[in-house]
Amino acid sequence: MIKVFFSIILNDMKVILNSGTKIFMPIIYLLLILIFFSISLVNTTIGGYDKILPQIIWLSCLLVSLLNMESLFKEDYEDGTLEGLIINSHTLEINILAKVISYWLFTIIPLVVIGFFANYLLTSNLGASLVLVMSLLLGTFTISLIGSIAASLTLSIKGNNLLLSTIVLPMDIPVLIFGTSSVYNAASGVNYDSELLFLLLLLVLFLIVSPFASALGLRNSLD
Amino acid sequence: MNKSFINLENIDLIKQNKKIIHNFSINISFGQKINIFGKNGTGKTSILKLISGISTQSSGDITVDINTTINNDLFYIGHKYGLKNELSVSDNIRYSLDFHQRDIKDKGIIDELNYYGIEDKFDSKVKYLSHGQKKITSLVQLSLLKIKIWVLDEPFTGLDQNIIDSFIKKIELHVAQGGAVIVTSHDQKDGFTNIEL
Repeated sequence: MIKVFFSIILNDMKVILNSGTKIFMPIIYLLLILIFFSISLVNTTIGGYDKILPQIIWLSCLLVSLLNMESLFKEDYEDGTLEGLIINSHTLEINILAKVISYWLFTIIPLVVIGFFANYLLTSNLGASLVLVMSLLLGTFTISLIGSIAASLTLSIKGNNLLLSTIVLPMDIPVLIFGTSSVYNAASGVNYDSELLFLLLLLVLFLIVSPFASALGLRNSLD
Repeated sequence: MNKSFINLENIDLIKQNKKIIHNFSINISFGQKINIFGKNGTGKTSILKLISGISTQSSGDITVDINTTINNDLFYIGHKYGLKNELSVSDNIRYSLDFHQRDIKDKGIIDELNYYGIEDKFDSKVKYLSHGQKKITSLVQLSLLKIKIWVLDEPFTGLDQNIIDSFIKKIELHVAQGGAVIVTSHDQKDGFTNIEL
């Protein structure tokens, strides 16, 4: 079972690396959004930009990671590998988790890295930047898990990207609250432990719920 | 007579208020080659999906023998071949071997590709293959995996006669070794148990 788990991650990695755009487009998109924020906010928040920058990065990462969420199962659905995955999986839930993890590792982790550098270069506050990385890692993994539920439910609907975001965004609110407040606290030099612990709690919660819900959703979408 | 491994009894399938399958029964044993044939839209694919456990019936019973587990023993090839366009033929085959925990050397894969005459495609990406070559790749995967039950949706369309003949030889060998093959097509096939829908 462990071998199958890693073979899925390895295969997804090969697919993502071979397509190229899947890694680089989100990064470029994130950088563009950050530039747009800087341009539009430069006059209004003189002196305060340092403090809100981590939150801007957090929100941008969340929105950019939603853009790709649709592709989590869509391609497998279109090329027929999803049917094989459902028929021949001993535990479909574990294999779905492998797919979510590979999605997170290869399309979202690069965003977190870029977010770290953007924050560190613009604010030169290493401590707060590391907290940003911590809360983004916890938060984006939770968001991917929530996204996999929505992606499995909307799989058979054409042009589902907006619907998917509409389902995912309200569920992301708790993650967003604790994620942005942890980085705000870190940037203001206040204690941020409880926010990170809450993010961890949400992660564990969705780690348990999401694979089962996604498996049900996938079975329904193919029915 | 071999023991049956799956039994469908009085199956009805209703989708969007339309009855697709009405009162269909079939009993499939190892060592059988079954050809489900019928016109377009008579529910051939739906029956294969019911057998594979992708869909569930609206009424009726499907019983699977206790010694058979669909997860391990059934391989399904639908209209889509389950190949990743971005990956090479060998990577695709290697992945499905890993997924089913089979250990086969590259030599074995090349021999199997050679059987159908596409061994030169070993390293080509699937997106550069023709429609027929994709289908052959999925058939190569199928024979390498050594899974007992083959469920194939219209395996003979889009292939030239030589390939079909080679593939039917594979099917006969597989059935002689105690496997089972279920295919769909538009007409009767010699040597198969034909079931009209």
